Amino acid sequence: MAGFFDRMLTLDRRWIFLFVFLSVAIPIIIPIGLPVTTTGSTRSAFEFIEALQEGDIVWISFDYGPSSAPENDPMAEAIMRQCALKKLRFVVDVLYPLGGLQLANNAIGKIAEEFPKLRYGVDYVNLGYKDGAAAVMRRLGEDIAGAFPTDVNGTPLAQIPMMQGLKSLRQVKLVFTAATGLIGEWWITQVHSQIGIPVIIGPTAVSAPKYYAFLNSGQLVGMLGGMKGAAEYEKLLRGRYPQMAKFYKTTRDFTATKGMDAQTVLHTIILMFILLGNYAYFRQRAKAARA
Amino acid sequence: MAPPHIGIWIAAFLTLACFTFLYKDNPFFRFAESLFAGVSLGYYVGIVLNQTLMPNLFEPMGENFGLNWDLVVPGLLGVLLFMRYVTKFGWVSRYALAIYVTYYIGVEFTRKLHGEVMPQLGRLIRPITSLDPATLVSSVYIAGVLSVLVYFFFSKEQDAVTKRISRLGIYFLMISFGAAFGFTVMGRVALLIGRLNFLILDWIYPTLGI
Amino acid sequence: MNFDFGRVALVLLFAIVPIGGIILGIRAPALRSRIPIMVGFLAGLVPIVSLYVPKNFISGPTGMSPRLDQWLIILAGFALLLGIVNVLQTSIRKITRREAGWPFAVVLLAGLFSTGSFGIHGAISGQGIGFLPDGSPTPFKYMADWFFLPLQSTIFSLLAFFMASAAFRAFRARNTEATILLVAAGLIMAGRVPLLELFALPFPGLQPAAAGASQFLGRTTEWIMDTPNGAAQSGIIIGAALGAASMAIRVILGIERGYLGLGKGE
Repeated sequence: MAGFFDRMLTLDRRWIFLFVFLSVAIPIIIPIGLPVTTTGSTRSAFEFIEALQEGDIVWISFDYGPSSAPENDPMAEAIMRQCALKKLRFVVDVLYPLGGLQLANNAIGKIAEEFPKLRYGVDYVNLGYKDGAAAVMRRLGEDIAGAFPTDVNGTPLAQIPMMQGLKSLRQVKLVFTAATGLIGEWWITQVHSQIGIPVIIGPTAVSAPKYYAFLNSGQLVGMLGGMKGAAEYEKLLRGRYPQMAKFYKTTRDFTATKGMDAQTVLHTIILMFILLGNYAYFRQRAKAARA
Repeated sequence: MAPPHIGIWIAAFLTLACFTFLYKDNPFFRFAESLFAGVSLGYYVGIVLNQTLMPNLFEPMGENFGLNWDLVVPGLLGVLLFMRYVTKFGWVSRYALAIYVTYYIGVEFTRKLHGEVMPQLGRLIRPITSLDPATLVSSVYIAGVLSVLVYFFFSKEQDAVTKRISRLGIYFLMISFGAAFGFTVMGRVALLIGRLNFLILDWIYPTLGI
Repeated sequence: MNFDFGRVALVLLFAIVPIGGIILGIRAPALRSRIPIMVGFLAGLVPIVSLYVPKNFISGPTGMSPRLDQWLIILAGFALLLGIVNVLQTSIRKITRREAGWPFAVVLLAGLFSTGSFGIHGAISGQGIGFLPDGSPTPFKYMADWFFLPLQSTIFSLLAFFMASAAFRAFRARNTEATILLVAAGLIMAGRVPLLELFALPFPGLQPAAAGASQFLGRTTEWIMDTPNGAAQSGIIIGAALGAASMAIRVILGIERGYLGLGKGE
């Protein structure tokens, strides 16, 4: 037994990699269906959007790339589904250079297939990607066309029915930013603080702890923290709109709810690793002290 | 279920090539890594040209030069940035660099004060009008913020009192860093879940006809 | 031609002055650093002043600030492409000198030129980088969907393995601070996922108790995130923001010049 713990401290890390791989692969192959509990910050975000009126405009910013797609994609899709269900109009932009545009296009394509009655240019618009996020946000507050003269396909905004009445971000009821890194923070510290538009953020789990300070100071209306936050939002959406369950029941498409099974198993494994590692460490320390 | 098309096979091969690094460094991983670097840079070219330079620079000047004649300046400043690679005239790029950096620094200045310092101080300064659980929690919050700020004050040597307050700040920071670690584990694991979901459900299952 | 105040002022300050500075700099090397710093001072001042001075000449629709914002969107695009030249130089040197790993430099350049040329073709032909009129993806979109997206996702997903390995090998409760960190991390990791429900899966009788305990753990986790974590993060935000604001002033005033490749006294 003593030898086992001593060997543990010098275990080849490739065994740990194998454990990690199996902990994630097995719940994908054999789904468990663990329950998801919701938190206050996600519920506030959901209820804020629920309180918006038909025809209100929501600004959705894809500020993430493939490096955080499993966390942010489900959030963005859930928010767009809610907008479609509540007949809210939404404008999509992309401020993250590395892959954000592809993910936005893919997500919008998915939602357009799920809601065939949505009309491009009337119910939603995709403005595409633009460089210089901070400068873009400054322009959006006064003149959207100054930053985005055309939509993603090159159509001038003046020719898009939905954009004819929408001149600046001040006319928008909410900004939702699915973000990795600083761009999401700029929506709060630059746009909200200077224009006052409510912001909901969907950060990656890595940056989520920081945003609790912004939640406490009232600069955020709500937050969807990482894949857990996305899973919570999916649960709230299914609960309020049972017809949405069909998009989350499939075993093929990736959803945050499905991902939580693997997340739970791997957390258990990592916690066990930490406990075992510390136990072995203290045993070794005690042995050294006795010697 | 339809068998996976060539794109999925390419994506699966590249994914597995990256995963081989976990065993040890090898030519497959280095191939994937180099391809990643090259394709990322090529992606930048495509996206900047199609989404920023064409609609914001070339098309406005082409359609109405009278209204947009001044856009020649940022275009030339942009080209000037690349002069840093010309040894003899590299100093010329300082103009473009100075404008670019200091503009964004100016925006950052207003953002930091208006968007971070003032609202966070506003949360901190709350009147204590009653002794209830909410006030107790608020007091813990205020104690945390102030002790962390004392910890980060390096302009003066700490005395016995400030050392104790700093220690409290360190404890708050350790809780925060522990929470950050927990969240970081969640974040990194989520990426792996996404990739394995693709490999198993989008590649292996359709290949096997499941 | 539109000669509103904003455009003319910006052209004067950020085109005419730099041209004059370049001409003077050819003759007087000392001015090669001084005039850019002066131009930088003006560029940094515009976004700050526009926030506090609600006058037409600076923040109105025809003022300097809106137009400068549009200029910097374009300049940011060029800046993003700056690193490509460096990579090209390094890779070409590696290939011509047959340095170690030179075939991978060929792979890098192949990826760069193929994706980049598809992007350039999309811009010049007007096809764009999305879908063709017949609904099929453009070559650029194909490269992005089946090369770029999987590679980017997978490279970052490797971190999960290294994180687990690091947690096992290095995460030790060596002292009070490390113990607090460890306990907080453990509580968060346990509270954010339905861990207790997972343990109770084989025991249906225990599941209601597990659900109740899990909810309590979840609420504890949320309190930790809201209060101690929120407080610490708020302190960090205030401190870092004050530091960044003072650094911003130093850069705009030309005290910090490192970004121009200049040392102190240059």
